[in-house]
Amino acid sequence: MLKMVLIGAVAVPAIAAGSVAATGVVVVNVQEARGGHHFVVPVPLALAQVAAAFVPENKTRLHLGRDAEKYLPVARQVLSALAEAEDGELVRVEEPGQKVSVRKEGDMVRVSVDDGDEHVKVQVPISLALAVLPSSGTQVSASQAVFALQHARLTEVVNVQGKDGEQVSVTVY
Amino acid sequence: MRVRTLGLAGVLALMVAAPVRSEAPRGRAWVHIRVDESNRQSKVSVNLPISVVDAALQAAPEDIMSNGHIHLGRMGKHELSVSDLRKAWNEMKATGDAEFATVEEEDQKVRIARAGNLMLIHVEKPNGAESVRVEVPVEVVDALFSGQGEELNFRAGIAELQKRRGDIVRVHDDHSTVRIWIDEGN
Repeated sequence: MLKMVLIGAVAVPAIAAGSVAATGVVVVNVQEARGGHHFVVPVPLALAQVAAAFVPENKTRLHLGRDAEKYLPVARQVLSALAEAEDGELVRVEEPGQKVSVRKEGDMVRVSVDDGDEHVKVQVPISLALAVLPSSGTQVSASQAVFALQHARLTEVVNVQGKDGEQVSVTVY
Repeated sequence: MRVRTLGLAGVLALMVAAPVRSEAPRGRAWVHIRVDESNRQSKVSVNLPISVVDAALQAAPEDIMSNGHIHLGRMGKHELSVSDLRKAWNEMKATGDAEFATVEEEDQKVRIARAGNLMLIHVEKPNGAESVRVEVPVEVVDALFSGQGEELNFRAGIAELQKRRGDIVRVHDDHSTVRIWIDEGN
């Protein structure tokens, strides 16, 4: 009997941890300015997907507007063509005190904005963007967006560093 | 003048290209745009694979473009139409190398000519203060005018662009330079 309890005590957390690892975890890391509070919030993607499924559909759908219907196919085509294109720097803007760079590296589009005091880095897998864009209509659902984060595993999607040392990062594991 | 030339450069970036060498391209073509504004100490670079530009044109909404053709209709107070331009182009093409227009005014000199397989549009201001140089391969213009009626065939123009390498547009004035070119580098 004790043996069964021990097996259960080990197996249940192991299966739970394995499931979470298999489906992914989003970790939000917030460091307040000047050595303030430090928060680390891990959110299992499976949990976020389940939660999104319970929220009324009209609350989780983002309507993109009438014009979007015309231009979403353009965005899909451009992203698909970009996915197949060679890697390289797509945009670079340099002004006094500000630099912006947009690069394509493999499946990743990396955006970097540096304005002297603040540094912002965003990395979005093209496959994620394609998964989020609706194939028809103009509505993006939250559960679809959460599910699409599976494409961004092991990616620091956002990293913002402020002038006083504050830092926010969102990483998908 | 500056706004006009920058606008012209932008439009032509999607329409035309000038060959520097004539052999068949080996890799995939990229369109490069560089805008340097010395007074603002600003530099902007845009590099796009032509396949991406082509994809955008293919999926462009029908009210902008239909099957790769753009409908322009008549424009301006002089009722200049695409079909009129097509007729004029066919006449100009048949004449071979020629100076089609040279306008010399106090503040600028404009020259439109054909040299070999290039259409040249050069605008220059005195003392090199400002200049625009557009060099358009004849094949690209032909491809653009291969549409019917009031339509320009952008897809055919883009298909011709994929074969081109070298400068398309160069604009410079007191405070800025614009260069648009195509090569295989990214």
